[in-house]
Amino acid sequence: MKTFFKILLASSLAISASAKEIKLLNVSYDPTRELYTEYNAAFAKYWKAKTGDDVTISQSHGGSGKQAQSVIAGLEADVVTLALSYDIDAISQQAGLLPANWQSRLPNNSTPYTSTIVFLVRKGNPKGIKDWDDLVKPHVSVVVPNPKTSGGARWAYLGAYAYALETYGHDDAKAKDFITKLYKNVPILDSGARGSTITFAQRGIGDVLLAWENEAHLALKEFGADNFEIVTPPLSILAEPPVAVVDKNAKRHGTTEVANEYLKYLYSDEGQEIAAKNFYRPRNQDIAAKYAANFTQLKLVTVDQEFGGWTKAQATHFADGGVFDQIYQP
Amino acid sequence: MGAQFAVAALADDTTTNSTEAAEIETLKQEIQKLDQKVSDLESQQQAQQPVADNADKKQIQDLDQKVRILSRERELDQDAAAAAAKTQPKITLGASGLGFSSADSNFVATIHGLIQVDSRTFSQDDHVQGNDSILLRRARPIITGTVFHDFDFNFTPEFGNATPGATSAASTPSIYDAYINYRYSPWLQLEAGRFKPPVGLEYLQTDTATSFNERSLVSDLIPGRDLGFELHGDIAGGVVSYAAGIFNGVGDNQRNTTDIGFQNDREFDGRLFVQPFKATGIAALQNFGVGAGGSWGSSSITNTLGLPNTTGGGSTSYGFSTDGQQQFFAYSATTVAAHTHWRFSPQGYYYYGPFGLLGEYVISDQGVENSTTLKTANLRNTAWEISGGCVLTGEDAAYNGVTPRHNFDPRNGGWGAWQVVARYAELNVDSAAFPTFASATTSASAAQAWSLGLNWYLNRNIRVNASYSHTTFTGGGAATATTAPASVSSHPESVFFTRVQLAF
Repeated sequence: MKTFFKILLASSLAISASAKEIKLLNVSYDPTRELYTEYNAAFAKYWKAKTGDDVTISQSHGGSGKQAQSVIAGLEADVVTLALSYDIDAISQQAGLLPANWQSRLPNNSTPYTSTIVFLVRKGNPKGIKDWDDLVKPHVSVVVPNPKTSGGARWAYLGAYAYALETYGHDDAKAKDFITKLYKNVPILDSGARGSTITFAQRGIGDVLLAWENEAHLALKEFGADNFEIVTPPLSILAEPPVAVVDKNAKRHGTTEVANEYLKYLYSDEGQEIAAKNFYRPRNQDIAAKYAANFTQLKLVTVDQEFGGWTKAQATHFADGGVFDQIYQP
Repeated sequence: MGAQFAVAALADDTTTNSTEAAEIETLKQEIQKLDQKVSDLESQQQAQQPVADNADKKQIQDLDQKVRILSRERELDQDAAAAAAKTQPKITLGASGLGFSSADSNFVATIHGLIQVDSRTFSQDDHVQGNDSILLRRARPIITGTVFHDFDFNFTPEFGNATPGATSAASTPSIYDAYINYRYSPWLQLEAGRFKPPVGLEYLQTDTATSFNERSLVSDLIPGRDLGFELHGDIAGGVVSYAAGIFNGVGDNQRNTTDIGFQNDREFDGRLFVQPFKATGIAALQNFGVGAGGSWGSSSITNTLGLPNTTGGGSTSYGFSTDGQQQFFAYSATTVAAHTHWRFSPQGYYYYGPFGLLGEYVISDQGVENSTTLKTANLRNTAWEISGGCVLTGEDAAYNGVTPRHNFDPRNGGWGAWQVVARYAELNVDSAAFPTFASATTSASAAQAWSLGLNWYLNRNIRVNASYSHTTFTGGGAATATTAPASVSSHPESVFFTRVQLAF
């Protein structure tokens, strides 16, 4: 009988000690494919070393607004890493999948890295585009995604609007006139940032692409620095893409612990370094200093400063009937 | 004089030369002016050419951008349409029915149908009146589907005259199949509702694929559709199939018609079927299958619910019936089911190319009691059959039927698939049944039937067939009998069948 119990005990220990196979789904926005491909591999290695468990992270990418709606509609994301906090708020409010205070659960308002909007122009900058006001000149064709579906596009829109407010002494009418002129120069609206990059870089449309900083660098890398160049305007918007665990999904999948650790690890030295290497501005100042050459210094304004926060900005500019609907006629 | 002329001539020459020189000079100046004009014009033209080139270039660039934008817009529209299509429900219409599916295929519903229009023509049966008939054998709208990806359902009502042996012309609508099947995986599924219990091989074959209009004598000893729960699955891609379930319990060749069971006891049914070469590359053996089905149940009270027809005369209850669906055996009215009832049915089939064989044996051990004398017995009735066929047009024969290689389309030389089929079957009633539990003067103690048929598969949906069956009896009724089972068992039965079938 003692032998039997020993065998039973040994079997139980063997079973409990065996490595688990964990699967996570990270629903993210368009330009983060390369970032999370690299980061996922690093995290899986870290998690294996820490716990012995294998974790496989699947990625889903698209326009940030569309991705949020997919999660609300049932896409079972364990974590979301979207372009702006409004989209995660929507998941919280419309589907109740995570608490309203989700942004307070991680440092820096749950934004482990930042970015901004820059200009990608064709080599030699034939239209001489240096600043936002060059975008409203006649015969300048601007490529930017649709702010109704793309987080990056909303950041770009607000960047342009913030420039106009700063330039015209916060005269909203003049700023509105400026943004109207700008979008008259936009011949086509893609649903996401990656689509706009294809439109500009691969399909040869337009004189300038309003792009995430990391997306612009990626375009240089992928399509050749001899074909394009980056123009960083003196002023742009501070984009803060947030991350969050989708609590109810993670709980149902039994992945809460690993999902939390997955996001926390973004703040680690390795996570920050991967972000910097992929041209996201790291929060860690030491890492930021190390990769300072990757990032041109410019004046960055925030959504809170210029627009009173995302909720207000969304309602004013991007909701149905908002400023964007008023000024843009396809 | 001559000298003067010469001087004068010289003077004239000098004057002439001066004039010519002046003219030449004038012409030279004109030419220079013209050269200058040409030069000026060329300069002007050269100066204007780049302007024109630049304008053309700009126009070309603008047009190029417009073309690129239009091309990209079309691309985005196509992407949007493709993305939208992924979220749209799908509707399909084809040989397998009318299907509706959600975009993610988690919800599916398909409407199927089965219509069988039969004729039965008996010969040399003047002693049995009114059995020749054209009848609507089966008329079933069938709804199958899936909800939440893993939950299948089937709802099959019957509007045809589906009751074998019935003398009434009325077709009473009833529910044949109504079940829900949870599919955890192909090898682990749980089914609940009304469906065919897992016992008989021929009985489990779909109604659209049987070789003949009616199943063989073996099915007289097999339980019909019943209410219950069943665990079942296919292991290793169908190399091993298993099913085990608990049911209300029905008598031989009976089906549950009440939607509930009025007895406390339940019946356990199970079946194991193996196709050992299914996953191998041996084509000649891939469709060889062998197995066994069985059931066990008991009655704590004696009742008639567990028995085939006891009243004789071909009432609405099932009896032991012939290929022509005429009752040739019935228990006495005083006989009730009692104690245990078990069945065992070894079975198998073999299909290779156009050839097919199906064989089945069944023992039905029925506990009975004479409610008057209180005598009891366990009657061991047996039946067996072997049937075979050959598809003359070369298509593969299969347990699930024949699919024609060329649909019937005489204008283009398509004639469908043609198959000849043959069958022999016997049923033997335990001799202990007579006379205490059944009348030897009215019921036959055995029946032997052979059948020949020709099946024409016009396409996947339409089938036409004709067959002839001849059944002889051991024992049975007197030659003058006029009601079944005596009238049926008094003479050999010869019947010619036809069928026109639509199944989708």
